[in-house]
Amino acid sequence: MSESEVLAYPEDSSAAEFEDRLLLAERTSSEINQAVLQPMFRTSWKFWALVIFLSLLVLWGLFAWGYLIYWGMGTAGINRPVYWGFFIATFVFWVGISHAGTMISAVLRLLKADWRRPITRGAEAMTAFALMMAGLFPFIHLGRVWKFYWMLPYPNNRLMWPNFQSPLMWDMVAIFTYFIGSTLYLYLALIPDLAMARDHTGKWRQKLYRVLSLGWRGTEAEWHKLHRALSIFSVAIIPIFLSVHSIVSWDFAVTIQPRWHSTIFAPYFVVGAIYSGLAALACILVIVRKGMQLQEFLRSEHFDALGKLVLVAGMAWVYFWFAGFIVEWYGNEPVTRELIHEEVAGSLAPLFYLQMSANLIPIVMLIFKKVRTTPWLLLVATLLVNVGMFTERVLIVVGNLQRNFMPFNWGEYSPTWVEVSIVVMTFAGFALLYTIFSRIFPYVPVWEIKEGRLRYTVRRIGRLLVPTAAEIE
Amino acid sequence: MSENEISLVALFEKSTDTAKAIDDLHTLGIPDDRMVVMTDVPYPEQALGRTREWSSLPYIVLAGAIVGLLIGLFLSAITPHLYRLDVGGHPPVGFPPAAVITFVFTMMAIIVSTFLGVLWEMDFPSFGPAPYHKAVTDGQLAILIEFSPDLDDKVNQVLKANQADYIGEPEMISL
Repeated sequence: MSESEVLAYPEDSSAAEFEDRLLLAERTSSEINQAVLQPMFRTSWKFWALVIFLSLLVLWGLFAWGYLIYWGMGTAGINRPVYWGFFIATFVFWVGISHAGTMISAVLRLLKADWRRPITRGAEAMTAFALMMAGLFPFIHLGRVWKFYWMLPYPNNRLMWPNFQSPLMWDMVAIFTYFIGSTLYLYLALIPDLAMARDHTGKWRQKLYRVLSLGWRGTEAEWHKLHRALSIFSVAIIPIFLSVHSIVSWDFAVTIQPRWHSTIFAPYFVVGAIYSGLAALACILVIVRKGMQLQEFLRSEHFDALGKLVLVAGMAWVYFWFAGFIVEWYGNEPVTRELIHEEVAGSLAPLFYLQMSANLIPIVMLIFKKVRTTPWLLLVATLLVNVGMFTERVLIVVGNLQRNFMPFNWGEYSPTWVEVSIVVMTFAGFALLYTIFSRIFPYVPVWEIKEGRLRYTVRRIGRLLVPTAAEIE
Repeated sequence: MSENEISLVALFEKSTDTAKAIDDLHTLGIPDDRMVVMTDVPYPEQALGRTREWSSLPYIVLAGAIVGLLIGLFLSAITPHLYRLDVGGHPPVGFPPAAVITFVFTMMAIIVSTFLGVLWEMDFPSFGPAPYHKAVTDGQLAILIEFSPDLDDKVNQVLKANQADYIGEPEMISL
C-alpha cells in the first residue's frame, strides 16, 4: 500500500493540515513499523529502576502471602461478622478494571469506531493482567491454598463434588472463561504484528516472535480467517464480559445481607466496572504515552473519545447508584437505615464522602474538552475515578458486612499489614506485567492502524476539506 | 508445484497495480489457486480480484458451542443428582444456577473452538521453510505465482507492465 493511494489530498491543500489525525498522517508502512518497534528497544535507567521497585513490592507481597499461609487467616483482619475484607474488595476492583479491554476492543470493533485502533492492544493487555491479579484473590482468601483442587469437578475418594448452585463456583468458571477469552483475543490480534516484529528484529526477540507468530505470512486466506475469528470473538466475548461482573455481583446479591440483597446489583456492578476500567485505561495510556514516547499514535483525538466514554459511564454509574440508594432509603428497614447512617454520618463517612467526591468530580471535569485532551488533566480525573471506585468496593464489601439482622453480631474491621501488603502486591504486579509487556510486544496494533489508513482520505465538501471514511471492512 | 513449474514472486507498491496484474495473469490462464497474495494489511475481500474463500470456521464454532452446552448441562443438571447436596431449601437442580453454568460453559467452548478452529484452518503453527518476502511487512504487496515454463516470458511482461518493483525467485524462509 503506498501513501499516494491512502492520502488523496486535493492539489491545493497541504498535507500538514491533517497531520494531527493519526489515520491521515503521512508515514510509510516501514516508518510506522519502526515508530512502534523502536520504543520497545529503549530501556533507560528509569525503566530498570521502575522494574526493580515494582519487583521489590511484589516480593514483599509474596512474603506477606507466605506469612499468611504459614500462620493462617488469623493474620488477616477478617473476623466475625466481616468475613470478606480487603481481599474480596480488591478482587471485585480488579475484575472491574478488566472490563474496559473488552469494551474498547470488541464493542468498538463491532461498531467500526476507528479511534479504537491504536489503543486496543493496551486495553486487551490490561484486561488479561487485571484478571490475573483478580484470579489471585480466591487463592489468597482460601487460606489453605493447596486445597484449591477441591473446587474442580472430578470423581474422588472424598465423595465430594463442587456445588454448582453456589455463586462462588459460577465465579470461578466465569472468570476462568473470561481470562481464556481475553488472552486468546489479545493473542490472535497480535499475530500479524508478531510477524512484523519477527521480520525486523534479531537475536532472542526474533526467536520469540518467530515461535509466537506461528508462521504468519499475511496471505489473503490468513487475513480473511483472522478477520472472521476476530469477529466471532468480538460477538462472543461481549456476553461473557457482561456475565462476569454480574456473577461477581451475585456473590453478594444472593445472600440476605442488607444492602447486598438487591436486584439492581448486577447492572450496577457492570456499569461501575466499565467506569473504573475505562478510567484505568485512560490512566495507563497517558503514562505509557509519556514513558514510551508514543505521542504520534496516542493523540488528543483518542483521549478525547476515551474521555467521553468515561464521562458517559460515570453518569450511568451515578444513575444506578442513586436508583439503588433511593429504594433502600425509602424502605427505611432498620438494619439498612443503620448502614446508611453509618455511611453518611457514622464511622464510614470519610470513606463514603471520598467515594462520592472521587467519582463525581471527574464527571464534572470530563465535561470540558480541555480536560479530555490534556493528558495530565485526564490522568488526574481518571486516577480520581479509580480511587473512588476502589473505595466503593471497600464500602460495599466491608462496610455492609459490619451490620446485619442480628445486632449482637455486629462488628468492625480494619486491615492488617498482611492484607495491605498483598493488595499492594497486586497493584505492583499489574504494573510490572504491563511494563514488561510494553517492551516485549508491539504496544500499538500496527496492522490495525495500517488498515484504518486504507479507509481514510480527504474530500472537499463545499469550502471545507474534511476527512472521510470508506466502507471497506 | 510440479517439477517443471516455475515459481516467481513479484512485489508491488500499489494495490491497483497488484489487482491489474492479477487480472492479467488470469487472462494468461493462470488460475487463482496458482497465486498467493501476501500483504501487511487485510484488504477487503475481492479487492484484488480474487475469489472468496470458503471457511468452515462458523461450523467449527457451532460444534464447539454444542459440546460446551452439553458439558454445561451435564455438570449443572446431571452431576448434582450423583452427588446430592441440599442447600437453602432449593431442589438439587434449579433452573437459574443451571442456566448460569450452562451459559458460561457454552461461551467458553465457543471461544476455545474459535481459536483452535482458526489455527486449524490457517494450518498453524507452520514453522518450516515457506516462500516469503520480508518486504511484505514493510508495505509491499507480493504475488507468488506458479506457472508452466512456456508462460515465463508473458508472465514477466505482465508483471513489468504493471509496475512490479521486484520480480524474482521466491526465497524459502524458515518462518
